[in-house]
Amino acid sequence: MMDEVEQGEALGPIGQLGAAAIDLLIGGRELYSVFVRTLYYTARGNREKGSTLKQMYEIGNKSLFFISITMGFIGMILVYQAGLQAKRVVPDYTMLGATYLELLVRDFAASIGALMLATRVGAGIAAEIGSMVVTEQVDALRMCAADPIDFLIVPRFIASLIMTLCLIVWAGMIAFVAGGLTAYVAFEVPLQTFFNMALVDIGDLSVGLAKCIAYGAAIPVVSGYCGLSTFGGSEGVGWATTRAVVNTSLAIIILNFFISGAGFLIFPG
Amino acid sequence: MAAQTSPNPPDAEREPSGLVTFVGAVGASFLDIAATAGGMTILLARILARFFPPRLDGAELWKNLYKMAVKSLPIVVVTALFTGAIMVIQAATIVKRYGAEGLLGWGAGFGTLREIAPLLTALMISGRVGANNTAELGTMVVTEQLDALRVLAIDPISFLIAPRFISIVSTLFMMTLFADALALLGAAYTGQGLLGVTPTTFYNGLTAGLLGFGDVANGLFKSIVFGLVIALSSCHFGLATTGGAPGVGRAVNAAVVASAAGVFVLDYLVSFVLGG
Repeated sequence: MMDEVEQGEALGPIGQLGAAAIDLLIGGRELYSVFVRTLYYTARGNREKGSTLKQMYEIGNKSLFFISITMGFIGMILVYQAGLQAKRVVPDYTMLGATYLELLVRDFAASIGALMLATRVGAGIAAEIGSMVVTEQVDALRMCAADPIDFLIVPRFIASLIMTLCLIVWAGMIAFVAGGLTAYVAFEVPLQTFFNMALVDIGDLSVGLAKCIAYGAAIPVVSGYCGLSTFGGSEGVGWATTRAVVNTSLAIIILNFFISGAGFLIFPG
Repeated sequence: MAAQTSPNPPDAEREPSGLVTFVGAVGASFLDIAATAGGMTILLARILARFFPPRLDGAELWKNLYKMAVKSLPIVVVTALFTGAIMVIQAATIVKRYGAEGLLGWGAGFGTLREIAPLLTALMISGRVGANNTAELGTMVVTEQLDALRVLAIDPISFLIAPRFISIVSTLFMMTLFADALALLGAAYTGQGLLGVTPTTFYNGLTAGLLGFGDVANGLFKSIVFGLVIALSSCHFGLATTGGAPGVGRAVNAAVVASAAGVFVLDYLVSFVLGG
């Protein structure tokens, strides 16, 4: 830390900006290389048997409770706030459920669910791989001529691709049901009116699906990269975990922006 | 207890059935959650006791405020700008359907100010500041630096924890103010680029009377509550770290998960209590 501060003072503001840009560039290049190697080994690696299933259990089943709680509450909040909003302009709740379902399929289920997964799964992956790096288990893997990306990241990558999709479908369902119950209790909207799928079209579904796949790929790659670049003891593991959570969340928000923008341009209205 | 030391042999050797294991697991996780909530409450009481009269380390407070608030600005700026843009993209479909361009500012503003800006800022700060704080405290615990403080007769709560607590709560409050403004800026210019709604129309929709100071205050009040949760959970899990470098990783993971769950649950409660 001290070195960094002193160096920063010697560089001056423009130098600092440049240093940050170079850091960003190097980080981006390494992240890209991890991603490409993950894809390569996914296609033609030789993994330990059962490791993907184990990771699917770790990522999927163990997140179920957390995802259900958070998405249930966010569903209730979103409908409550939307109802208050509608009350001020047009006190008409007939389209509340349909609009909510469209937004849920198009964006909120995938994005908020993935942000939750980024904290739970991303932090877990980075902490686990980071501890392996610090205790030199990753070096041991390299000594055995096993690429850590093939052995550690690829099972998590495949598991996360599949389980993110499952969890987000589940999360969307939980959020919708919780929202429906809130609308029934708080605004007396009948459940038959609320459970209305009229507005969900192929565009919403494909945007939502594209988001699931993009986030499912981004979470293990970004957090795995953060874990592999750990250095320096227990403090380093903490740093790696922090960076994994922040970078994965940022990656999700930025991906969301681009996919939503593209979705709006491809499927307008 | 001593009377029960010789249990029935067949009972003790019988494998627990699936149902028993399941109920046991549910009970164990419930006890776990209760222990965490209790630990956080006790920590809060101990921190508050240090405020009357104030016994805080001023230098540590300034250092943490700089490290947590100033250094988090870049990610808050990026998050807020993108969030505002996403809000407008989502609202765009509905605005186009009804042709209500004038309401875009109100729609995006309502969601951003009351809900999305405080929530996403809290999640980012929990990741950046909360996780970092847990890692730092966890490392101190694992390397026995806290015991060293106690040996020197320095109270770790007033020296380490209370300054961090204040810093996290005030950081989140200030960052939410920034995020509100920046998200609306991002929303206004995305509206212009995507829908052709000029920023003037956007700001008119924002200030036309449908939104009041109450909506901003609602979001800011939430940010204080979120700050409390994040500060308590990150300090609690940091102090409860055991077991070397893997332990620090686990502590950070647990702190982030607890913060996120706490933020969502309290968001719901605060939304309902404050109402419209």
